[in-house]
Amino acid sequence: MTITELRVPAAQVTGRSPWQLAWGRLRTDRVALASAIVIVVLVTLAVCAPLIAAWNGHGPDDQFRDTGITPEGLPVPPGGEFWFGTDRLGRDLFIRVLFGARVSLLVGVVATGMASIVGVVIGLLAGFYGGVVDVILSRLIDVVLSFPYLIFAIAAVSIVGPSLAATVFVIAFYSWAAIARIVRGQTLSIKEREYVEAARSLGASDGRIMFIDILPNLLAPVIVLVTLLIPAAIVFESTLSYLGLGITPPTPSWGNLLSEAQGFYRVAWWYLTLPALTLLLTTLAFNLLGDGIRDAIDPRTERIFSRRRKKK
Amino acid sequence: MAHTRHLTIAVAAAATMLATGLAGCATDRGGAANTSAPPPETGQPITGGTVRLVGSGDIDHLDPTSAYYTATSGILRAYARQLYQLAAQKDPTKAFDVVPDVADGPPQLSADHLTYTIKIRPGVRWDTTPPRDVTAQDFVRGFKRLCNPVAGAGAPGYYTSTIKGMGDYCDAYAKAFAKAEPTAKALADFQNSHDIAGVRAKDDSTIVFTLTQQASDFLNIISLNFASAAPVEYDQYVPDSAQFRQHIISDGPYKITQYVATKSIRLERNTAWQQDSDPIRHQYVSAIEVKEGVSEPDAVQQQMEAGTADLSWDLPVPTAQLPQLKSDPNFHVYDGAVTNPYLVFNLQSKNAGGAMGKLEVRQAIEYAINKVAIGKIYGGKELNTPLNTAIPPGNIGYKPYDPYPTPNDEGDPAKCKSMLAAAGYPNGLTLIGAYRNAGNHPAVFQSYAADLQKCGITVKALPVRQGDYYGAFLQQPSLAKESKWDISAPGWIPDWYGNNGRAVAQPLFQTNCSPGTSNFGCYSSPKVDSLIKQALAEPDQTKAADLWHQVDQQVMADAVIVPFQNQNYPIYHSSRVKNAIYLPAFQLFDVTNLWLDPATP
Repeated sequence: MTITELRVPAAQVTGRSPWQLAWGRLRTDRVALASAIVIVVLVTLAVCAPLIAAWNGHGPDDQFRDTGITPEGLPVPPGGEFWFGTDRLGRDLFIRVLFGARVSLLVGVVATGMASIVGVVIGLLAGFYGGVVDVILSRLIDVVLSFPYLIFAIAAVSIVGPSLAATVFVIAFYSWAAIARIVRGQTLSIKEREYVEAARSLGASDGRIMFIDILPNLLAPVIVLVTLLIPAAIVFESTLSYLGLGITPPTPSWGNLLSEAQGFYRVAWWYLTLPALTLLLTTLAFNLLGDGIRDAIDPRTERIFSRRRKKK
Repeated sequence: MAHTRHLTIAVAAAATMLATGLAGCATDRGGAANTSAPPPETGQPITGGTVRLVGSGDIDHLDPTSAYYTATSGILRAYARQLYQLAAQKDPTKAFDVVPDVADGPPQLSADHLTYTIKIRPGVRWDTTPPRDVTAQDFVRGFKRLCNPVAGAGAPGYYTSTIKGMGDYCDAYAKAFAKAEPTAKALADFQNSHDIAGVRAKDDSTIVFTLTQQASDFLNIISLNFASAAPVEYDQYVPDSAQFRQHIISDGPYKITQYVATKSIRLERNTAWQQDSDPIRHQYVSAIEVKEGVSEPDAVQQQMEAGTADLSWDLPVPTAQLPQLKSDPNFHVYDGAVTNPYLVFNLQSKNAGGAMGKLEVRQAIEYAINKVAIGKIYGGKELNTPLNTAIPPGNIGYKPYDPYPTPNDEGDPAKCKSMLAAAGYPNGLTLIGAYRNAGNHPAVFQSYAADLQKCGITVKALPVRQGDYYGAFLQQPSLAKESKWDISAPGWIPDWYGNNGRAVAQPLFQTNCSPGTSNFGCYSSPKVDSLIKQALAEPDQTKAADLWHQVDQQVMADAVIVPFQNQNYPIYHSSRVKNAIYLPAFQLFDVTNLWLDPATP
């Protein structure tokens, strides 16, 4: 009835791993693919930002006080020289958005990476050992999850002072618990499986069972969660910077750009709109990609946007 | 210094040296011009209506003794009166004049200018049942409350340094409550059993001040809010306590009928007040309403343009809107008399080999700053005049000169670089720049940091919370000594204009490295100290102005600060506000002189 079904008998019947199956499903998901392309383009632009800045001669902190700002102190609109217009100090907004992407993506990836490592380890320990270990670690997870995150972040940053490192740590500290909770739940069910029993009766150490036998089976949900946590971390960073608690100027980050622009939205639409759209596009792309990956890994979930559903 | 809540743009009305001289001479003769209320602008005054002020935060204090914010002063004018007060004057040359308020004319001066005898105007009454006359004793009580240990005056130094026995009285007051609990009764008992030697009520309607030395600015000092009269009922409450705030007694044209902390304040007509006993204020509008909690200048501006608010309470006109408002008849720009912001050096810092302590390094930085670029952050050159003197126009001692000239005031990075190399920093240096992370301040920081970068100085960003910036940061010399910061850009709004060396050059440049100082970088020069001493004691205004100017010259030669600009003050009112008279000291239109057309609601 469908093309896929017709194709199957035509090809040689071969065994395919779950990852291959997932990749096959993901490839047919146009939304996820488009999101992936957006992310790749964005990462490329962010990585190449210094090259672009060198090419058009606008450094991220260069203030063009004659051409980039009116005598009355207003930013100039988008045009040939400044593609995204300028900001209130006469800096090239396009270049600053690109350099902001470096900071935002870096914070998003590093913070989420740290959170994943901590979350997976704590979740594994809690789920695998159970008992007192589980009680203590689970309560710890509950405590972290129940923090009002913005208030906690503001308090923490006020104490140590705003910086890139502080921002990353605050975001990582808040993100690991979500991962830990999911990993714990999965570990609880996996450790009862027969192959784990078998490994144990063969004399495998706890460490080996946890990290060699159980961990690979946890990767799917963790990957999904990570792709969803990255955009959350980017937004979190923007929030902190917007409140003046994140990245310190003149380093551009998307939150800083939005914060600087807020007094100008009535006279310089580009100042607020363009960085905001970039932020929106990025988080949207990560979220949709995350959705796509989840659908691909777990075929039982309903697939709203995929081609396959449309063809039913 | 009165800190405005949002120190983005600062005060003031026009003042040439001429105006300064005139105001000064008038005070010196002890005869403040006996100006009566200004003439109405056009047409007949309309009575009625509620003038609606909208803004961000609450008053700092409602008690006149401790109120210090400029916004608070704006409404305080309607319910608390002093012996002398700033005139409400459209003529900018008279806007700094101090005129009799509750005083019935100029003071009588003794031959040595140390004794001031002041008569109380008849008919000034408290809003009590039945209304009661304001007496000389009420003013004595006001002065005694000045240094109460619970909520005292923000700048008691003006009084302790001029009035005989005031310092001893305040010391004794502080000592008495070093351990004792300051209950309302205990405070009142202390005040009623201790006297200030130099403040005496001769009879109900005569008050006599005795000074320790001649002070040609004494009328300015007793025209500040701190020196308001206080009725005997205030003895029942702890100063500025929540209970006090609900029982304020007015001697002005309006009384507080409702005060909800951080939300709203409402004032209505005070029936005890009589027009013929008040030469400054009127009772045109029937109520004054302050709504708080709108923290965006843009939102307030839009409300005023739409006519749902009449005046901004504590927020400036948003900088980005200034160019568009130029042709709006409800938009006004008043000439400035403030140095805001300016760059101050922490002379105590040991960072970068003690670079900030080295005169040559500071002088190099004097050449580095593009003052026009800073001005653009605050709306451009039309609103902000580049400033090259330590004392800005409109303040005593100002004379235009430029000790560190650069082309068009746009900075000279090459000169800075070569001077830096000569000072022993051929490869540049790294400094810590502290800034408030709110309003225009991050932009100012990035602007001067970019200038310094061009001359080889890297400035590391140190954001400080707006609320902590002065009290918990700059005014803590221990932090300066620990090299926590090297440079920063505060602003300065003097408590009064004209003859105000005591409110500008003295706090900024006299040796003072104790907590609460306004000499943030702990500058100390015996020469400047002695000039300030001479200037304060000098009765002749021309000579005093010359001495203050010498202070300016020495300070600039020592490169203690980098002045950026003199800011003019842009301000807006809704289209129905008529007879709007700008009060330079409060950055507000006088609510006791305006009327509304139409007067509904």
